Amino acid sequence: MIRQKIIAAGLLAALACLPGLAQAQQAAPPAWAIGREGSGMAATLAPHAPRLTVTPRDQLPLAAIRLPPGFHAEIYAHGIPGARMMAEGPNGTVFVGTRTIGRVYAITRNADGTTRTRTLLQGLTQPNGIAVLNGSLYVIAINKVLRFDNIEQNLDNPGSGVDMTAAFGLPPEEHHGWKFLALGPDGRLYTNVGVPCNICDFNRDTHALLVSFKPDGSDRRIEARGVRNSVGMDHHPVTGELWATNNGRDWAGNDIPNDTLVRVRRSGEDHGFPYCVGNWADPGAPAQRNCSEFQQPAALLGPHVAALGMRFYDGTMFPEAYRNQIFIARRGSWNRERLNGYDVMVAKLDGQGNVTGIEPFLQGFRDEANNRFLGRPVDVQVMRDGSLLVAEEQYGAVYRITWRQ
Amino acid sequence: MTRVWLLAAALCAAALPAAAQDAIRGAALAEARGCGGCHGPAGRSAVELVPSLAGQPAEFITLQMILLREGLRQAPPMNQLAQGLEDQQVEDLAAYYASLPAGPAEDRAARDAALYARGQALSAQMNCGVCHLPDFSGRNQIPHLAGQREDFLRHTLAQYRDSQRRGTDTNMNAVMYNVPDDAIAALAHFMAQQ
Ligand code: HEC
Ligand code: HEC
Repeated sequence: MIRQKIIAAGLLAALACLPGLAQAQQAAPPAWAIGREGSGMAATLAPHAPRLTVTPRDQLPLAAIRLPPGFHAEIYAHGIPGARMMAEGPNGTVFVGTRTIGRVYAITRNADGTTRTRTLLQGLTQPNGIAVLNGSLYVIAINKVLRFDNIEQNLDNPGSGVDMTAAFGLPPEEHHGWKFLALGPDGRLYTNVGVPCNICDFNRDTHALLVSFKPDGSDRRIEARGVRNSVGMDHHPVTGELWATNNGRDWAGNDIPNDTLVRVRRSGEDHGFPYCVGNWADPGAPAQRNCSEFQQPAALLGPHVAALGMRFYDGTMFPEAYRNQIFIARRGSWNRERLNGYDVMVAKLDGQGNVTGIEPFLQGFRDEANNRFLGRPVDVQVMRDGSLLVAEEQYGAVYRITWRQ
Repeated sequence: MTRVWLLAAALCAAALPAAAQDAIRGAALAEARGCGGCHGPAGRSAVELVPSLAGQPAEFITLQMILLREGLRQAPPMNQLAQGLEDQQVEDLAAYYASLPAGPAEDRAARDAALYARGQALSAQMNCGVCHLPDFSGRNQIPHLAGQREDFLRHTLAQYRDSQRRGTDTNMNAVMYNVPDDAIAALAHFMAQQ
């Protein structure tokens, strides 16, 4: 009986490997598809789910990584399903937030140079926002803000933290409600409030914002309006200006709109969503507006690439040409028939802070020939020694990039 | 019994592809953990509100088991039952249930023509087949719906609507936003009767 079951199981498993034929279906768009009309895109496109189980080290795509000459990639830590946003503590602990798996990890270095990863927190709803300020770890999940004091002294017993949710008073929506958290040179905490839809009419004072707070959650200030969904920001090491990545909307076409790089010259200015991306007026917007009313993006980052974590390079290990340039992780597209992104780019800035170009840095995860991907870089973190960490969400690993003469 | 199984596993392990080896280990684990007591010995549930697992995509089962283990999808008694399962064990269980042929529960009620027709129209209008595929057999993280227990479908669709069930993304919450109970009943009947 059991034997039969096993044989049947084997046969069926083999049969299950045969590719199924996905057929696009034609029908009127339902509520969730508002904004899809007329895109002409394959209707079976759907987000890729990350793997939430441990991927063994020997199955990681290290060998596929390509970097400019002189740079070298190694596996810093692995077996961390869902690894996303990173922050470094004063003693060198790297904290890693996640979305789907609800965990925060802590990576420490052993004496022999290897690393150890602990699951620090679990059971949270999308704890993507991570920052360390004065020895305290701040974690922002959906509608929840937690602070863990003296965290590096308490890695084995972090407790449940100080609940600061009420003080920050962030909106409760889960869709595009996950946060990026950055420290400002002014000692404030900077984060994003995404729009709870693809494109819709919403309150422009509560959503599609970059906002900052005092560390106790008081004194909320709107830094930028009309930013659809930013999941990455950093301050220019010299000018202190806030810069952010921003995700363009879905279902407008394979090549429109672009994700953008936002430069905040003055707090509170309007960057255009849902009306415009640069000079493209979105036909799906609730109203048509003149795009010259809005701030223009500092750069276009590619359609549907999911430009997420970004950091200015303020280290000294890399060649001088990288100083104060922006590393940007592009997690990679789902809402595009040909894959786009799945890499790390560098935005080159001139002395005036104008972007002069966007160049590839870490490549090899996008398999053009087979239209599939081997990894999804979600965040970059400049370590105190000047090396660059890259968090890869799909297979749960952190890579370390170094440079030598 | 178990010994026979181990022997069989050892004999065929070398010759079978990796997924089949996982399925063999998964079959033993499902037996040891008594999954079949609720989900049915062949993965087709005969118990009210317990979903059938046979023929679900392995990726879907794996992801749901992790959400259940981590307490992110609240679904008693599964949260408790998933405790202590290692990642590899979860993948083995998933490979096993994915390898079993899907099919309706033995106690499936007769078709109600009017309810079925309404569910069919709603499914077309709400594009269920775009993600779940036109025959509702699922793919990757998107579950197989055809022949699933009607009571479970009704229960879980209402949970998505009421933000009581959280998935690997927010698509289903968006799909079910504001859908009334009678429409859910029709959709559940239509899917169960596939
Ligand atoms: C005591 C009965 C019981 C046992 C034993 C049991 N389950 Fe479940 N399982 C349930 C119920 C009930 C649900 C649905 C819960 C809900 O959604 O409210 C469920 C849901 C699931 C789901 C989600 C499926 C879906 O379609 O959403 C998976 C996967 C699953 N069980 C796997 C297992 C595995 C593997 C085992 C053995 C390790 C197991 N179950 C043992 C009762 C049980
Ligand atoms: C945009 C893609 C999409 C569409 C459209 C869609 N689904 Fe889903 N569905 C999903 C995904 C993804 C999941 C798994 C979510 C999770 O992790 O809980 C899912 C899960 C489900 C489940 C849970 C089944 C189980 O065994 O746990 C049911 C039932 C379901 N969908 C029914 C429907 C119905 C009915 C429709 C049409 C009214 C529909 N879906 C439309 C993507 C979709």
